[in-house]
Amino acid sequence: MKPSPQDFDQLRKLLALKRHEPPPPGYFNHFSDKVIARIEAQGLVMRASWRQRLFPELNARPVLACAYGLIITGLLVVGLGVSQSLDSEESPAPTLGSPWFAQTPAPASALPSGAAVARPLTEQTDPTSSVNPVFTSSPPRFLFDVNQLRFERASYDLH
Amino acid sequence: MNANVLEKAPLAPVAPAPDSDPQVEQRLVKRAKCGDLEAYDGLVRRYQERIYATIYHMTSNHEDANDLAQETFIKAYQALKSFKGDSSFFTWVYRIAVNKTINFLKQRKNKTHMSLNDLDFNTEHDADLLALISEKTPRREVNLIELQEKLNIAMQKLSQVHRLVVTLHDVQGLSHEEISRIMDCNAGTVRSRLFYARQQLQAYLSDYLK
Repeated sequence: MKPSPQDFDQLRKLLALKRHEPPPPGYFNHFSDKVIARIEAQGLVMRASWRQRLFPELNARPVLACAYGLIITGLLVVGLGVSQSLDSEESPAPTLGSPWFAQTPAPASALPSGAAVARPLTEQTDPTSSVNPVFTSSPPRFLFDVNQLRFERASYDLH
Repeated sequence: MNANVLEKAPLAPVAPAPDSDPQVEQRLVKRAKCGDLEAYDGLVRRYQERIYATIYHMTSNHEDANDLAQETFIKAYQALKSFKGDSSFFTWVYRIAVNKTINFLKQRKNKTHMSLNDLDFNTEHDADLLALISEKTPRREVNLIELQEKLNIAMQKLSQVHRLVVTLHDVQGLSHEEISRIMDCNAGTVRSRLFYARQQLQAYLSDYLK
């Protein structure tokens, strides 16, 4: 016997009665609490990484993660710019007209007593001879320290 | 007892579709994956009633349904990291519930106890049941508990897959497509199983469908 759709409608009405078999009243009030308590009791709680704990929203919202990334990048760029401008204020770039190349930043008292003190070109009055050594006896403090570079005249004594 | 209680009763509306705003659900899942138990609590609350009801209609026992529903959500939490989001969380957790229940029923094969006496009918807000109860015609005076008991006995006579299809479709109100995703088969198979299951139930419950 093949039942008609009308028969199935009757059956479905009957089956619909099963929707009214709920658990005791208030059962679902604490259902999820029990589930969470069992998860904790069994030590199943997942441990998130420090990044996930710190920025839980970043995982949920990629747009927010991008915004954070842009802000941090911007801060880095600004910080780099500020540090470069401060450096340039402390040591301005030398110009051809400035006596920067002839400067001797190290104070005379800091030099050894026997060492010759190099003088700036502008102060040198005898251009024909020099007894000053080209190199000082003390080694430079740092190979690429531009403040240590000296521009001195070298000459040969013909006598 | 031969009561045609459904003669004038309208076809009851199917259960509402799950409240599944995909974005909210995805956000809760991601947070739960990060160890946020509050988010997982939100997911449990979202689907607890539907999962419980499905298991109950499969087992016809509140205690078993309680245990299995809790275990379903615990198992789902354990496996949450493997959830890739190919399907909705709802479908995924339903699959876990169904597998757990079927395994349980296999183990309980020879043990058939049905605690139907503790049924608590929520008649206050149901139009069908109000109609059944309020109209005191001789034909409509029916022992609802006994009727549901007969219904449960008939359901238990079905195979597990047929019982599951009837439960998900005719009791829970899921579509064929949703059921096919849960049962991992095509919609045509769901339809044929549903048809067969209805035929079987029709035969078992013939006294109530005249």
